[in-house]
Amino acid sequence: MAAVAVVVALGLTGCAAGNSDTSSTGGSGGTLNLGQIITVSTFAAAQSNWANESPYMQAVYDTILTADTTGAIQPGLATAWKYNADNTVLTLTIRSDVKFTDGTALDASAVAQNLVRFRDGAGPNASYLANMTDAVATNATTVTMTLKAPDPAMLTYLSQNAGLVEAPSAFTSPDIQTVPVGSGPYILDTADTVVGTSYVFTKNPSYWNPTNQHYDKIVMSVFSDPTALLNAVKGGQVNATNTLNNTDLAQMTGAGFTANPLELNWAGLTLMDRDGTVDPALKDVRVRQAINYAFDTASMLKTIENGLGTTTTQVFPANSVGYDPSLDSEYTFDVAKAKSLMAAAGYANGVTIQMPSSALLGQATLTLIQQQLADIGITVEYTDPGNSFIADVVGGKFPVVYIPLQQGGDWELIQFLISPTAPFNPLHTTDPTVEGYIATIQKGGSDSDQAVKNLNKYLVDNAWFAPWYRTQSNFVTDANTTAVVQPGNAVPYLWNIKPKS
Amino acid sequence: MLRFILRRLASGVVLIVVISTIAFALLYVGSGDIARRILGQTATADTVAQKAASLGLNRPLYTQYLDWLSHAVTGNLGTSWFTGQPVMAAITSRVAVTLSLVIGATLISAIVAVILGVWAARRRSWPDRLVQVISVLGFAIPGFLIALGLVLVFAINLHWFKPTGFVQFATSPGGWLASITLPVIALAIGGIAGVTQQIRGSVIDALRQDYVRTLRSRGLSANRVIYKHVLRNAGGPALAVLAVQFVGLLGGAVIVEQIFAIPGLGQVAVTATTQGDVPLVMGLVVVTAIIVVVVNLLIDLLQAFLNPKVRLS
Repeated sequence: MAAVAVVVALGLTGCAAGNSDTSSTGGSGGTLNLGQIITVSTFAAAQSNWANESPYMQAVYDTILTADTTGAIQPGLATAWKYNADNTVLTLTIRSDVKFTDGTALDASAVAQNLVRFRDGAGPNASYLANMTDAVATNATTVTMTLKAPDPAMLTYLSQNAGLVEAPSAFTSPDIQTVPVGSGPYILDTADTVVGTSYVFTKNPSYWNPTNQHYDKIVMSVFSDPTALLNAVKGGQVNATNTLNNTDLAQMTGAGFTANPLELNWAGLTLMDRDGTVDPALKDVRVRQAINYAFDTASMLKTIENGLGTTTTQVFPANSVGYDPSLDSEYTFDVAKAKSLMAAAGYANGVTIQMPSSALLGQATLTLIQQQLADIGITVEYTDPGNSFIADVVGGKFPVVYIPLQQGGDWELIQFLISPTAPFNPLHTTDPTVEGYIATIQKGGSDSDQAVKNLNKYLVDNAWFAPWYRTQSNFVTDANTTAVVQPGNAVPYLWNIKPKS
Repeated sequence: MLRFILRRLASGVVLIVVISTIAFALLYVGSGDIARRILGQTATADTVAQKAASLGLNRPLYTQYLDWLSHAVTGNLGTSWFTGQPVMAAITSRVAVTLSLVIGATLISAIVAVILGVWAARRRSWPDRLVQVISVLGFAIPGFLIALGLVLVFAINLHWFKPTGFVQFATSPGGWLASITLPVIALAIGGIAGVTQQIRGSVIDALRQDYVRTLRSRGLSANRVIYKHVLRNAGGPALAVLAVQFVGLLGGAVIVEQIFAIPGLGQVAVTATTQGDVPLVMGLVVVTAIIVVVVNLLIDLLQAFLNPKVRLS
């Protein structure tokens, strides 16, 4: 199974390190039939997801800020934003000409209420705003956010689900999860929508930013089955869609669709037990380095992903300021070197490590891991935690895990994978060097970029992970449609899917 | 008769309670950390704990079940944990879709099976062998392969139908018919095979009975003998097979709905079960059990109508 399908099936967030280019200006009108590989879990902004669910949310809501196709922050509902000197107070200037679809005005108070609700809403990404002490409307067009500490990713969060603004009138609605009331470019047609299957949106006639309305109507149809999706593409039932795997890509392009590639995740091992808490062997950096030398990543990429992707030793994406191409040759496939490192670490006679398995990860990949680690004297014993896979992994039950993981922005990645409180650092490993780099990055300023570079190199040298490659996923568009992929997101942003001029 | 119906309905209620209890227990045994599954990988442990508490997952299992049951008997099946939609709304919007597929496939199975079965039984020789071969093929080829073949030929290559999707009858009766044609054929083929064999065998047996010779000797036409008298006697076993087929088709609909991206109960059952959406799966279990109980009761009544001996027993 392709990584993207694994990501969806395991409930992971797919994020992309996509390339960027300029989008063509198309005409407008007509209907966009957009294929979706996942249904929307909720329309309630405070509990919302992003990634593959972003098109649903972007149809009906505005975000406080937006991001362009290079990932740079642009105005949204906020026309201006400014930090104080130590980056702990963010002042946002909110537009005064926006109305919700229920006719009420969108003002600073509505924005502030949404921020607090998102933080307290127990949604999947509530942690994005955990750092926020408060958000208050100081007047009708000004919101002041106070942070406990600087957060370099905050502006990005405000361009995603943490920045969605829902009408306060909907907060007490019993239908809040299925009937959105926003200020976005489209309105959900609940009469024609079949929850979980197809969602129909019609153009919001009084939208404040008509340049982002490329269609009169958008129909988002959910295809969780690869065969159904392929047939819909071949039958011309979708104009654009994300794909569930790369296996059907040739048939899709053969049907006249264009593949828009993006490198969505990295695949490899997360060597979580760097202190040897669960498995003492993992404490020795030489064992972790040996694991990096053990994998023939080029062959694996060919075998598992049909060659679609790029081999790497780094968890930071290619568009990160910390990415260093020279590091990608740090660990070449070298069984002899791996064995000598194992022997030097005192494991010449081998060692056994426990790993979680899941049918969703693909048996072939799990077998390849077992075989290649066996070649350097490491016996892998798999346990299948079933539906508790994620819970057990982020609960710190295993020293090592294979799972495709997202490559977001630098600070998001640090918060997700590297910091002592990161969900994918469940054994809370850290050291003064890492802490120092993270502190510098958090403060921002001129040293920040170099600190990301240093941190990335440190993680590669000390083998915190054993990455194999970045996997390529593809968003496909028909002859009448163009799309520009979005760095840091599984699918293009909705306004970047347009009719071809 | 009324007492028979009431007795059957009472046993149906017991059956539904037992099935729902087993389903509830099984769902929790294999569901792992549900709150974590709902929130995904990025949620913090605190958020997960908050979610679990808000769903009442920290209560004892029997308390959760009794809570569900007490609401279910009032018609409140709760809300989907993954889409926020009320379960009753999710099911009512989909039950007609699946029933239109399954009833359509059952009707086609019955009609085609009667035609083929009677033809094979009356003609024997090559028509009989041909029907036998068709039946074996119908049994042997998996439903999903038939579905894929139909899509490839009639939707992708010939463009006679759309490869995926469903049109509501109220929106466009013609569109509705076009959208269910291929899925119904894919579902019906397996059913036709089973029922044809049953009808063929029953008709051959019936044709050897004395009453058939008597009827013929009184000058009744062969068609009248077959379609008025023989089929009435042969209908009982065929109806029993059809009832089993109907229930089987509910299962078959799961695959067909996935392939054709049809918003029926089968499609949502796959998603809900994979996710561990307990309220939605429980709702589906109850509704499916009700359908099965009602269908079996109707079949019994129909058999009694066709065969007075059944009524006496």
